Amino acid sequence: MEFSNINIIDVLPGMFLVTASLLAVLSIAIKRNHKLIFGLTSGSLLAVFVYLLVYASDHQFTVEPLFVIDGFGTFVTGLIVMSSLAVSLLSYAYFEQREERKEEYYILLLLATLGSDMLVISKHFVSLFLGLEILSISLYAMVAYLRKRPRSDEAGIKYLILAALSSAFLLFGMALIYATVGSMEFKDIGNYLGSVSNLPITMFAGFGLMTVGIGFKLGLVPFHMWTPDVYEGAPAPVTAFIASVSKGGMVVLLVRFFGEINGQNYPVIVLSFSIIAIASMFTGNFLALRQSNVKRILAYSSIAHLGYLMVAFLAGGSLGTEAVCFYLVIYFLTNIGAFGVIAILSDHERDAENLDDYRGLFWRHPKIATVFTAMLLSLAGIPLTGGFIGKYYLITSGIGADLLLLIGTLVVNSVIGLYYYIKIIAVMFDKAEGSETIALRPRLYIINLVTLFVLTALMIWYGIYPQGLIDRIRDFLQ
Amino acid sequence: MQVTFYIAAGVAILSTIMVITRFNIIHALLYLVVSFMALAVVFYIMGAPFAAALEVIVYAGAIVVLIIFVIMMLNLKSEAVAQEKKWLTPEVYVGPAILCIILLAELIYTIGVGNTVGITGQIVDVKEVGQSLYGEYILGVELSGMLLMSGIVGAYHLGRQKKKVVHRFLEKPEE
Repeated sequence: MEFSNINIIDVLPGMFLVTASLLAVLSIAIKRNHKLIFGLTSGSLLAVFVYLLVYASDHQFTVEPLFVIDGFGTFVTGLIVMSSLAVSLLSYAYFEQREERKEEYYILLLLATLGSDMLVISKHFVSLFLGLEILSISLYAMVAYLRKRPRSDEAGIKYLILAALSSAFLLFGMALIYATVGSMEFKDIGNYLGSVSNLPITMFAGFGLMTVGIGFKLGLVPFHMWTPDVYEGAPAPVTAFIASVSKGGMVVLLVRFFGEINGQNYPVIVLSFSIIAIASMFTGNFLALRQSNVKRILAYSSIAHLGYLMVAFLAGGSLGTEAVCFYLVIYFLTNIGAFGVIAILSDHERDAENLDDYRGLFWRHPKIATVFTAMLLSLAGIPLTGGFIGKYYLITSGIGADLLLLIGTLVVNSVIGLYYYIKIIAVMFDKAEGSETIALRPRLYIINLVTLFVLTALMIWYGIYPQGLIDRIRDFLQ
Repeated sequence: MQVTFYIAAGVAILSTIMVITRFNIIHALLYLVVSFMALAVVFYIMGAPFAAALEVIVYAGAIVVLIIFVIMMLNLKSEAVAQEKKWLTPEVYVGPAILCIILLAELIYTIGVGNTVGITGQIVDVKEVGQSLYGEYILGVELSGMLLMSGIVGAYHLGRQKKKVVHRFLEKPEE
């Protein structure tokens, strides 16, 4: 009889998050205190990050059979934890303005972070599915968190039904692959694929069904229909979380899975992902052109951005992984920043999501308008911002792998995308008369402003001097 | 043994199709119980008696509890009894009953033959399940705990009763 010998140190980041969420539950049971639970959440997220920096940065190990903790996983875990920290810093003021019960939100935030962490270090279908479900189930409640808004219920139900359906697809795909291979570990699947000359039909169907599940989570075309509605209905900090942590975890998993099974060697898989990528870029950008709701514009732009990211993913190799890491950092920074601006401008009745809420913003709140402008320019990929370097990196990795069609699409779409980002910026500088009467009256909290400034500073710093971040990524990936 | 597997699998598919095509939720629930029991038989034939038992206890049991809840909520007034009679006419329960009888016959046959090895040639017993759950998959079990916790916290928050329970038509000012 053999018993597992899991070293508790190996899984400490997860343990931190689990302990923090349990402490959060206990603190609610004793006394509800928004400040306390906010401090607990932020403190534990920071603790995980410090632990990763100090202890885990050059450790590599596997926790058989479920997890692999390597440089790639550690780097993205750190990124996810810091993004959650930024989201929680932005959430405090946002939920403080609203009268509803706020404390449960932080438990869900911690658990969703845990789920995403498990996703990025999993090397087994069981841990993949558990991580994904922890993430999704926490998100259902987070999306519908504000009970007084009718729209949030709609978004929650929509996300619940579609995510459950896509989980079913994913599960069926995994079952088919397991039935063929007889193992749920990524490495065994890769070995099996190496031993057969052509793909059996069950594996084929399995990969197809898994693509549906993964594509849904990433919001890629044609599984993107939930994105605008959920982005619009969810509270702004939760939207930031969905856009960054939830999608990022899945991207990393996809990269890891494809690395293990050498997905780039199968023309059919590459072709289908290329079609998905091109369709995502065009659909996202064209649909964003016609929107007048800022949250929806950002939702469609995130569809397009995931399409861009697929270029580096399809390029594969070490350069592709580097590009994915770099792009994720920039994408997280800009998205959390952009939704942070929406959160800071929202008042207790609704979120600042109409384009008209931003009319003349530069004259009312010059600091926030500057931050938002910087974030939008980075999303558009203007030089001197992080977004430019990110796109440059994507294109470099794509050229290395001869993906010329995809690169051409990326370039064309960057130009299309410029239009709607510039449109928002133009509205902010536009001084229309009478705009003060319809303006929302947000209460600005210093903590939000500081978070936004830090995000902007980082984003511009990485745009001007990316070498530091690139070196750091290379250190981790080795 | 192969034939018994296909019969049970057929029953499972048939009853699941009936679940999603029924209009009345009670009728759908009846077929859902049959579907779970068919799956349990499939598990049993495949050589996983523990999974079969869990399937019956957890899933089929939960559905029975649901039905009891519905009956309790009917509150047993006269019109409720009439409603119940309308729901449970013979043409409603004869379908699930026939499918159940097929499954029962199969189970008796399998036990009677005495071939408990299953079609895969090996039996996964309780001890093995326990060893793998609390051995190599212990982190998975702990993560499932976290999964349930997020579900409960979310359900608690979303299911909380609002303080003001006024119908939306009553909120309109008098004209």
